Amino acid sequence: MFSRGRFRRTSFENEPHPCHVKSSVESPDGVWAAGRQSRNDERFGATLDLLPLAILVANPQGKILFANAAAEKLFGYSREELCGVVANELVPALQLNACAADSAYTDLALAGREWDSHRDLVARRRDGTEFPAEVTINPVSWENEACALTIVIDRTERYELLRNRQQLAHLTRVSTLGELAGSLAHELNQPLTAILSNAQAAQRFLATEPVNLVEVREILHDLVEDNHRASEVIRKIRALVKKGELEAAPLSIASVIRDVTLLVHSDAIVRGIRVRVAVTPDLPPVHGDKVQLQQVVLNLLLNAFDALESCPALNREVAIEVTPEGGDSIRVAVRDGGTGLAGHTLSKLFLPFFTSKRDGLGLGLSISRSIVEMHGGRIWAQNNEDRGATFYFTLPTGARAERSFPRGQP
Amino acid sequence: MSEVASTVFVVDDDDAVCRALTRLIRSAGYCVESFGSAHEFLESYPHFQGCACLVLDVGLPDINGLELQNELNALNRSLPIIFITGRGDIAMTVRAMKAGATDFLAKPVRDSELLPAIANALRVSSQALSSRIELDCIHRRMARLTPREREVLALLVEGRLNKQVAYELGVAEKTIKVHRARVMEKMEAHSLVDLVRVIDKACIPLSPGQSA
Repeated sequence: MFSRGRFRRTSFENEPHPCHVKSSVESPDGVWAAGRQSRNDERFGATLDLLPLAILVANPQGKILFANAAAEKLFGYSREELCGVVANELVPALQLNACAADSAYTDLALAGREWDSHRDLVARRRDGTEFPAEVTINPVSWENEACALTIVIDRTERYELLRNRQQLAHLTRVSTLGELAGSLAHELNQPLTAILSNAQAAQRFLATEPVNLVEVREILHDLVEDNHRASEVIRKIRALVKKGELEAAPLSIASVIRDVTLLVHSDAIVRGIRVRVAVTPDLPPVHGDKVQLQQVVLNLLLNAFDALESCPALNREVAIEVTPEGGDSIRVAVRDGGTGLAGHTLSKLFLPFFTSKRDGLGLGLSISRSIVEMHGGRIWAQNNEDRGATFYFTLPTGARAERSFPRGQP
Repeated sequence: MSEVASTVFVVDDDDAVCRALTRLIRSAGYCVESFGSAHEFLESYPHFQGCACLVLDVGLPDINGLELQNELNALNRSLPIIFITGRGDIAMTVRAMKAGATDFLAKPVRDSELLPAIANALRVSSQALSSRIELDCIHRRMARLTPREREVLALLVEGRLNKQVAYELGVAEKTIKVHRARVMEKMEAHSLVDLVRVIDKACIPLSPGQSA
């Protein structure tokens, strides 16, 4: 595979490198050197032509000096048409000129450090259609100028895949909420009950003389609280049903868990299950999409509830624990006291369409895994020593968290 | 009925609902005691004397409302229960009503449903209370009778004449007259009909004809 660092350090005269374009700036014989440079450029160009990736070389002003065969094919222009065009015409958000002229850019290249030139942008074909593209920019010397070698990879397929996965995640979220509908209705019904009784009590207190204002004031306070509670439930349901783009933000995992436990609160009561939550205080935030992480917790929690179905009432407990893991991660454990996992299922648990439930689709855990991995974490399951099983997942925190959240979002 | 001393117990684990229901019932002039769990209620209730009813949420986390009803029945303390539930089904309702619930209401519950239900339940409780007091009273009077007087009483309420009683017990009719006067006096009955009614109400098993 093509390594993106290969053509980078072009200004080092003495460094031997295949397909190297030598700079002649320091050469005493300018004419001879220019001829050699041009021959080198030609040879380099011929090599680039062989590569299956679209490659453009642009000068510091952003004007394209060279385009390879794959670029012709990708953008639908001939090589002649491409040469002289400003690269922004092809990739509007590309800031080539600024990059290439930036002295820090060359410095970085000289220092041999990683230059984070890897970006996800939208590119435009000749016919005006746009496609998601991964664009990598590397410094290169071309026609004695510090130029930018730009590799454009069509990411349409990967984007489609990601979008399909998001849609699938959304569908399972909606169907999970469907299963919870009765309990969610109850969660809404509670504040509505309180509101009605409070309001009718207020009417009665107001009808008596003298009016008990203390009582009425307390009622009004509670009415506001109950209303707030009802709208919180609606907000949480809405958030889970929402079909949105992924959002990356710093998140408290404790609040993610709190929101989910609120949604399953009455489901747990109906099933006679106690839910215990223990979160190590002052954990650093994770970085990611709140809805998707809620989906993972919701999925693991409901699985744990199902696992307790045939358990005696005394053992019906699910414990969620959040602890720090290593220096830069947190670990969430969802432990049930159920029957545990059969040995042969452990390896297949996270595969799509694998299910041990009578009416399960077998998508919950596989989607949970793709969500956790997309956030740079890991998910696994283990049988407990006494009884039941525990599902674990980790999420990176701090700087690692930000780096690991997916790119590829056009 | 003595509604002055009647108490309404409210048991609901949801703090906001419990508070609101308590307020609504208090606004109708009742004395309310509320509890967040069945356990708390069960600790306090056995010490309670008087007319009362219970407004009970079915879905309690510690003991299910229907189980609490069974425990109360086992305590042999008749407490009329009004169930309120967010998701009652027919099976649940039938079970609760068979076990003696006075009402089964759906959340959110309106005052026009809840308050009459409470009034009704308290009426049931108050009736139960006064008949229990009356019963205690009859039992106390019965305890004052001698074994011979009990025998006389048993035969009298069966409708035997003095003469027949005397024959059956093998004593003189004059003696029976004396016993009869004692029984009437101890049982505080003004006539034979009165005596029969009292004994009937108390459902006391008498064993007539068991003479020495």
